[in-house]
Amino acid sequence: MKYHWFAEATYDGLPETYPQKHPSGSVDVPASLVDSLHVGAHYRMFIRLMQQADRLGWDGLAVNEHHQTTFAMTPSPNLLAASLASSTENAALLVIGNSLALYNPPVRVAEEMAYLDCLSEGRLIAGFVFGTPMDTAFAYGVPPAELRARFHEARELITRAWTEPEPFAFNGTYTKLRYVNVLPRPVQTPPPIWVPGTGSVETWDLVLDEDYCYGYLSFFGLANARPIVRGFWDRVEQRGLDVNPNRMAFTQIICVADTEAEAERRYGDAVRYFFTRQRAPLHFAAPPGYTSIASQREMLERARGVSTEDRLRATRGELSFWEYDDLGFIIAGTPERVRQRLRELAVELRVGQLITCMHMGDLPEETAAMNNELFGLQVAPHLRDLWADHEDPWTPSVSKARVAANAAAVPVPTR
Amino acid sequence: MTTLEIPHVGRFDVELWESGSGDPLLYLHGYERHPGGAGFLERLAQSRRVLAPEQPGYGRSTGFESFTDVLDVTLYHRELVESWGIERIDVVGHSLGGMFAAELAAVAPQLVRKLVLVNAYGLWLDDQPTLDPFGPADEVKKAKWHGEPPKSEPTNFVPDPDNPHAAILFAAQNLGSATKFMWPIADRGLRRRLPLIDAPTLVVHGTSDGLLPLSYAEEFVRLIPDATLVPIEAAGHYPMIEQEDAFVSAVTTFLEA
Repeated sequence: MKYHWFAEATYDGLPETYPQKHPSGSVDVPASLVDSLHVGAHYRMFIRLMQQADRLGWDGLAVNEHHQTTFAMTPSPNLLAASLASSTENAALLVIGNSLALYNPPVRVAEEMAYLDCLSEGRLIAGFVFGTPMDTAFAYGVPPAELRARFHEARELITRAWTEPEPFAFNGTYTKLRYVNVLPRPVQTPPPIWVPGTGSVETWDLVLDEDYCYGYLSFFGLANARPIVRGFWDRVEQRGLDVNPNRMAFTQIICVADTEAEAERRYGDAVRYFFTRQRAPLHFAAPPGYTSIASQREMLERARGVSTEDRLRATRGELSFWEYDDLGFIIAGTPERVRQRLRELAVELRVGQLITCMHMGDLPEETAAMNNELFGLQVAPHLRDLWADHEDPWTPSVSKARVAANAAAVPVPTR
Repeated sequence: MTTLEIPHVGRFDVELWESGSGDPLLYLHGYERHPGGAGFLERLAQSRRVLAPEQPGYGRSTGFESFTDVLDVTLYHRELVESWGIERIDVVGHSLGGMFAAELAAVAPQLVRKLVLVNAYGLWLDDQPTLDPFGPADEVKKAKWHGEPPKSEPTNFVPDPDNPHAAILFAAQNLGSATKFMWPIADRGLRRRLPLIDAPTLVVHGTSDGLLPLSYAEEFVRLIPDATLVPIEAAGHYPMIEQEDAFVSAVTTFLEA
């Protein structure tokens, strides 16, 4: 199994009254809550943690895009990825992703991602995302009814811009360019492409048609993912394709410590902070037209792996640390326990690409660094064997080779 | 159901509410939904032939994906009216339908005899920013009505006993289609075209509309060459529902003058 280091760059200085006083953590969140110098220090912390992860043998370093929110203060993931491209050696740069409909013209994405691939010597994974409703419909004002069409047009333009040898004209509905001739071109032609989804058949068919890696990026764990991931694999089988675990990525919050008591003591507040500061009122989270009617029907009819009540309790902070763990929203405890539970999760969901959330909420840097070290040395090496016999065209060959040469192996050297 | 095929554009299967006989009247419904056979439509149909199509993308009407912008919608309306063999028609447009009606009157002036705009979208005033019509449902509901919201709002929705989610999906689809022309701001450049309208125009406005203040109606009147304002008191975004008598009387008087 492969591991991709990830953290939402959540602002850590929000007051305790935040969820009550400000119903939304996005769109219209008061800017006065955020200290810019503190944000800068925070960015440097994330860069240090990802550099450490690179040294410890993570396969990828994941960065994401969100706008007008304290939940993830990375409006341009490409900027963070650029810092990493020049200061890490081995891991893939998993930009997951750029909200394609928000870039105009979308060749901007082709250019910036090519820059990253050049600077990192071919370590880029290109993630294409629709973007949350808050990002796209509200912060960037894209009419929900046009979001999907804009995304697909941009996707076609970007992939052609990376692969067509000659300049070409592009006459789209939303973008018209007489001379498309992106420079530089990426080192990889093209980089592997990942597309996260929320369980719609349309996205499953897209990733299977185009041979993209599919990501189900939720923070609600195994039980929540079960019906959706099962649906994805059913779809892969129905279409007669290879049920290769590496075509699937999944996110999991991880809290490793030497003892269970220490895990609770060191991560308890941060987990609660993480879940209680990401609230969005319904009219921001579900604007009309954002989800197609077909997908909406599927979602309404699909059995829920985790009850709405449990999700609400999580975001209200009404769960104890071990209830978060029982529900699978986090996987916490000793290295032995974490690797056992991760193996169960990965085998059941058939996940080859695990996006490990190693920092959450307002976790102190030293705890996140400890989490990295315990996971990198005492968890990851023990699960490397999983799915090792499956091809992985969704990870760059350069990062695969470098990580294989440098990552810790079993038996693990003592700390 | 009426079908319209526009070469190189697309095929539209459109729900059509039609009643009455006499001079034709095209009614274009608002951003939320088609009102079905609401009282005001029945009353207008007592003296004329009322044609009230459901907008593509709403309810059971198809062809929405063939629209790239508001000009497509305008030409679609022109083709729709012409497909009925009608050469000249009175047009009443409410809310988002008001935007479409005004566009039609500007782009196809030969087709529109008289124009009625009712609490119409299409303009933006920087000093009078409006409430987000897609905002929190309870806020929007409160803003729409002068008085207590009615128990059931006028609709052409037909419950489906086999589909418990039908009502949610119906509303999501309708409003989702509206976002094409109203998100994030319901201004697709109509201001530049209003001065080109030839048709005598009546601007009807429920004065308690919390979604669109009266100043928006006044701006329509200022920009359209031959326009008169009829404010309707004690009514919000749906004056034809809250003050049906005053509404029908104002529209009928104007159209028959």
